[in-house]
Amino acid sequence: MEFHGPSTVDEAVSLLAADEDARCLAGGATLVAMMNADLVMPSALVSLRHIAALGGIAADAGGGLRIGAMTTHREVADAAGLDGAHALISETARAIGHPAIRNMGTIGGSIGHGDPQADYPAALVALDASVELRGPDGARAVPAQDFFVDYLETALQPGELITAVTLPPSPAGGFGAYEKFARVEGDYATVSVAAAVAMEAGRCRYVRVALGSCGPIPVRAEDAEARLAGTALADEDVAAAAAVLRDACDPVDDVRGSGEYRMMLVEPLLGRALRAAAAKGGAR
Amino acid sequence: MSEAIPISLTVNGRTHRLFVQPWHTLLQVLREQISLTGSKRGCNQGVCGACSVMIDGAVMRGCLTLAADAAGREIVTVEGLAVGGALSPVQQALLDHGAVQCGFCMPGMAVAATALLADNPSPSDAEIRDGLSGNLCRCSGYVKVVEAVRSASAGGAS
Ligand SMILES: Cc1cc2nc3c(=O)[nH]c(=O)nc-3n(C[C@H](O)[C@H](O)[C@H](O)COP(=O)(O)OP(=O)(O)OC[C@H]3O[C@@H](n4cnc5c(N)ncnc54)[C@H](O)[C@@H]3O)c2cc1C
Ligand code: FES
Ligand code: FES
Repeated sequence: MEFHGPSTVDEAVSLLAADEDARCLAGGATLVAMMNADLVMPSALVSLRHIAALGGIAADAGGGLRIGAMTTHREVADAAGLDGAHALISETARAIGHPAIRNMGTIGGSIGHGDPQADYPAALVALDASVELRGPDGARAVPAQDFFVDYLETALQPGELITAVTLPPSPAGGFGAYEKFARVEGDYATVSVAAAVAMEAGRCRYVRVALGSCGPIPVRAEDAEARLAGTALADEDVAAAAAVLRDACDPVDDVRGSGEYRMMLVEPLLGRALRAAAAKGGAR
Repeated sequence: MSEAIPISLTVNGRTHRLFVQPWHTLLQVLREQISLTGSKRGCNQGVCGACSVMIDGAVMRGCLTLAADAAGREIVTVEGLAVGGALSPVQQALLDHGAVQCGFCMPGMAVAATALLADNPSPSDAEIRDGLSGNLCRCSGYVKVVEAVRSASAGGAS
């Protein structure tokens, strides 16, 4: 096994492109755990730690936000002054694991692994985020919704790495909320719901919802959002939207809960997430 | 076996020149190459916190950090907490409060608590619990650990 510590994205791309069994090393919190368990043994590790261009959170002139792939969960959790719905990403980062895991894990590593039980994927889908990639053929951006392809499978092609996650401007008057239900604090979610909502005169003018741990990729259902739009998010609206979302779910049975139990959690967590997001906008 | 990589590792203020394999964890190298056996191997999966060390001031998992990737960063282990041979306030408080049972989790607890108080000198009880949430104690002595950390905090003269 070889170990590389390039200082530019281009060098990292060449190293990855030259060896199809090479892997990026970000925080190591998943990759090293898998190596320790003899589940993977890459032929080479390409540490991204020394690539300054992969760090940092920056707002762009149009009100969008760019989060470098090597930004740790702690840096996202502590980011100050995020606008409206963008604060959802910080709330989500605070829900990840324990302090040591938030100090180590990165947003690029979290989504690069493609685990549907992780917290960021649902939040990124609810925020209409894009994933910026760089590979031997140059740069491209993939909507978060298309980036997650299947269980532990993403749109990353051989030789490509994630350079950043970008969020479009927060919808006007929009706020977000992340509801995570886990067996104990710091565990992966049994079910999670990310919601971005804008209310106007007590009615929902904008809504995006995505579920985590409910299938091989984050679950989004445009029909459920259409059912919520224009409503006051009353119990019957939430129940009807939850029914649509449940039809789109394909949950597993595992130690964190049976598929049936997960389906029971969708409606109450959806209600909590929508109302928490709406409440952040205050009475309008 | 691939060729070992030369690295220099700064642990508790001392720099060590070592040869490591790319897959060697920091925990493994601390214990087996520099004989710092205070950091414990519980799960080797990031779950238990027995291997907690500080890297550049932040608490991290020794078992999930590759030694080659830790080169050039400031590492502090439980052996580096004592000042001039005297236990640190956190260590002394853990002792005074009877927080130590079998002791296996204690090096990790002491490191995590030290990192917590460095960031937040007067944490609330909820913040103490959150700060130590990644450290499991199978003897289950959490109450006394929280009391000890509270007493070692700026607001906690007991
Ligand atoms: C005890 C424990 C508890 C956890 N709890 C939670 C939790 O509650 N919620 C949650 O969401 N997560 C949780 N995690 C996962 C953790 O938060 C990290 O997100 C995860 O470890 C991956 O991030 P990393 O930076 O450590 O990536 P690594 O482990 O370094 O890499 C993970 C994978 O992504 C690839 N990769 C890394 N960076 C890139 C890149 N820039 N481009 C392309 N591929 C890349 C790697 O090659 C590897 O395949 C937990 C982990 C542990 C060990
Ligand atoms: S040994 Fe590292 S967390 Fe358990
Ligand atoms: S004192 Fe025994 S594991 Fe904590």
